[in-house]
Amino acid sequence: MLSKADNEFLTQAGKGTPMGELLRRFWMPALLSDELPERDGPPRKIRIMGEDLLAFRQTDGRVGIVEPHCPHRGANLYYGRNEECGLRCAFHGWKFDLDGKCVDLPTSPPESAYRESIRLLAYPVREWGDMIWVYMGPREFMPELPQIEMALVPAASRFVTKKWQDCNWVQSLEGAIDTSHFSFLHKVLATDDAAARRAMSNAALGDQAKPDNRVRWVQNDPRPKFSVLGHEAGLVIAGGRKTDGPELYWRIAQFLMPNHAYTPAAFPGEIYYGQCWVPVDDVNCWIYTYCWQPERPLSNSERAKFRGGFNVHSVVDADYKPLRNRDNDYLRDHAVQQHENFTGITGVSEQDAAIQDSQGPIQDRTKEHLGPTDIGIVEFRKMVMGAARSLAGGDPPSAPQRADRYAVRSGGWVAAPDKDLATVMTERFGHPRGYVGNQYGMGD
Amino acid sequence: MLGPADNAFLSQSGPDTPMGNLLRRFWMPALLSAELPERDGPPKKLKILGEDLIAFRASDGRVGIVEPHCPHRGANLYFGRNEECGIRCAFHGWKFDVDGNCIDLPTSPPESAYKATIRLLSYATREWGDMIWVYMGPRETMPELPQLEMGLVPAAQRYVSKKWQDCNWVQSLEGGIDTAHFSFLHAVPTRDEAARRAIYSRSAALGDQSRPDDRIRWVTNDPRPKFTILSHDAGLVIGGARKTDSTDLYWRIAQFLMPNHAFAPAAFPGEVYYGQAWVPVDDATCWIYTYSWLPDRPFTDAERAKFAGGFGVHSEVDDNYMPRRNLRNDYLIDRALQKDLSFTGITGVSEQDSAIQDSQGKVQDRTREHLGPTDLGIVEFRKLIMGTARALQRGEPPRASLAPKQYAVRSGGWVASSGKDLADVMIERFGHRNGYVGDGYGLAE
Repeated sequence: MLSKADNEFLTQAGKGTPMGELLRRFWMPALLSDELPERDGPPRKIRIMGEDLLAFRQTDGRVGIVEPHCPHRGANLYYGRNEECGLRCAFHGWKFDLDGKCVDLPTSPPESAYRESIRLLAYPVREWGDMIWVYMGPREFMPELPQIEMALVPAASRFVTKKWQDCNWVQSLEGAIDTSHFSFLHKVLATDDAAARRAMSNAALGDQAKPDNRVRWVQNDPRPKFSVLGHEAGLVIAGGRKTDGPELYWRIAQFLMPNHAYTPAAFPGEIYYGQCWVPVDDVNCWIYTYCWQPERPLSNSERAKFRGGFNVHSVVDADYKPLRNRDNDYLRDHAVQQHENFTGITGVSEQDAAIQDSQGPIQDRTKEHLGPTDIGIVEFRKMVMGAARSLAGGDPPSAPQRADRYAVRSGGWVAAPDKDLATVMTERFGHPRGYVGNQYGMGD
Repeated sequence: MLGPADNAFLSQSGPDTPMGNLLRRFWMPALLSAELPERDGPPKKLKILGEDLIAFRASDGRVGIVEPHCPHRGANLYFGRNEECGIRCAFHGWKFDVDGNCIDLPTSPPESAYKATIRLLSYATREWGDMIWVYMGPRETMPELPQLEMGLVPAAQRYVSKKWQDCNWVQSLEGGIDTAHFSFLHAVPTRDEAARRAIYSRSAALGDQSRPDDRIRWVTNDPRPKFTILSHDAGLVIGGARKTDSTDLYWRIAQFLMPNHAFAPAAFPGEVYYGQAWVPVDDATCWIYTYSWLPDRPFTDAERAKFAGGFGVHSEVDDNYMPRRNLRNDYLIDRALQKDLSFTGITGVSEQDSAIQDSQGKVQDRTREHLGPTDLGIVEFRKLIMGTARALQRGEPPRASLAPKQYAVRSGGWVASSGKDLADVMIERFGHRNGYVGDGYGLAE
């Protein structure tokens, strides 16, 4: 439970808010690279953390992200001409490069120095992991890109898309690091084991390529015991469930500052899934959903499966709006809810979206009641709110400076009951926090 | 650049705002006459300067513009009966004439004097130049109608329409008097001169182009017109001079007429004149009345059809006067067209203007603008209108409202030798420093 003030502190991401300033110290996905396919193609309107912006891919292939209004008379550069390495306003031809420099000011005489005094707000941009990233914080604190494994593997070994979410980013992220809801929200009601496994084949509990007992263990133990470990880039959040023997079935998620989370299901050899929440404003966000296979390229049939809605990936329309969404009640089917699954909604990603939207545009955390299975959420809040408070007090966050420590994995494991989480992590990943950067030449 | 207080001062026109009070000292177009075609026909809802109103054409043909809510219980008279020279409330039958007098109060006994105490707010109206005009200011300062030439010529020689605009009226008007943008916003970037001329002749952005001339090239080649402004009783002459192929200058001369009219700068003698009037609906939307006229001859049916299809300042609009290419459909921008044949990829001069003006924001944030020498007309417009609004706050009535004849002016283009100043050029082109043509209509100056 949070006070009203703390709830606002946690959820507001606009410029000048403490959490907004913290988020602005990190690189944010702004678009998929696919959304700006063409050099000199049409600019795109985007909105990030309450700021309206324009993105354009210029003649040399580089991407600019700038404020939309021309400094001359405020016309929107969206209607402008993207040509010859710059964006030219349609009103009077003022032209800006992707750094915001005015490179042509045809309404002033060529000898005038006025042009040098004109600046368009422009943010640094990188393209990495099939996404266009933007850094909206102070230039002198600009960090390296977070070295998440999905971007370190070859492009053929990853799949990236995005989906619109109709609520505040924080509650949606909290839904993802809360791995206890798998015993309910994504539950399959079918009693027949084969049918249950078939229904689970959408990867909520691993790829289920080889039948195993995870479905049953998650069904039977709705009270996983949580352990949380901190590291330089975030948190390891693990829930241990009973198995058929004395061992524990661990599902281990990662939270990476300030807005990434990895799912807890993957056994060795399975696909890893992650998500990144980017506030559009305080009541909407984009979720960048990605997955990767460290050992091999993804097949065309796997890509087709992801596009059709699989695990964290929603089935979306051409604007990345999920086909099952708040406006159509997620196509909830009462008969399905009675006999087949817990919600009547098809798709793990859509079940998540529905329940998170349903918490309200911004969840009122003054009315919540947390318990032992919510410990990951509690630790997440401590971490981001603590970092935001420190920043407001003049102490910058340390995670941006440890870009290498984002090279971690999450996943599942079965271990002897007396082993603590660090030991389980070492068994599963070869490192107590799941770090795999050494495999990519980043040192131990 | 304006401070936030000045930007609000300039752009807010609701009741009891300084700019709203200034606008209310002038006659405003409220509807096209064609929007109330029928005596005793259905009333129309309208909103002007943030005020919700009802307009109806009474049995005798006169138009009333009144507050919508019946003084009895607040029912909207829009649902009432327009009959026998008055509008009767559908709730309990109270009836009002175009002047707001309560002429029947059937819920009170016939002998009651209650009826004489009941008034409906009603504004003075006129019908002129195919428009219904309303005066929303104090009755004692009601001026004559502005004697625009479009209203002085026979009806056959004018064409009037209107279009919806999704932004504050001031930035849209500022786009109308800013003639520097023609080198960009309406440009045709192709090098193929024939293609370029064909596109311009479909738009009238640079005159009718009925005879090929050099204006297109001059405007394309000189993006930095030198501006000169002349002030007169009704407004401003705003002249922008561009280089030609010789030492002569090509002048494009617009008129701003207080408080909300602007005439386009293109017409050479014999060509069609175009004007616009911006009427705030509220602070984030406005109606633009678009009109054109020919002093010398009637318009042909073909010309009228051309205007109705979108030409010059006239947009192609639907039955509700909503432009077919508008904010909600991104003005049907065609990015392939933008590469080559159109600076914007948007079809239509009027639609290009709308798009760029809407894009400045619901109300342009002028605290962030950077004006330059080609924005002189805008600076002088703001000085005039804000100065007049400030003077009115001190009790000085606006001079233009007392000079309705001075609205009989023309704007247009001319080529003059470079030694001539704007006043000389005006006399050469129009026979008068202010472009005044009222004497041709029997208006003594």
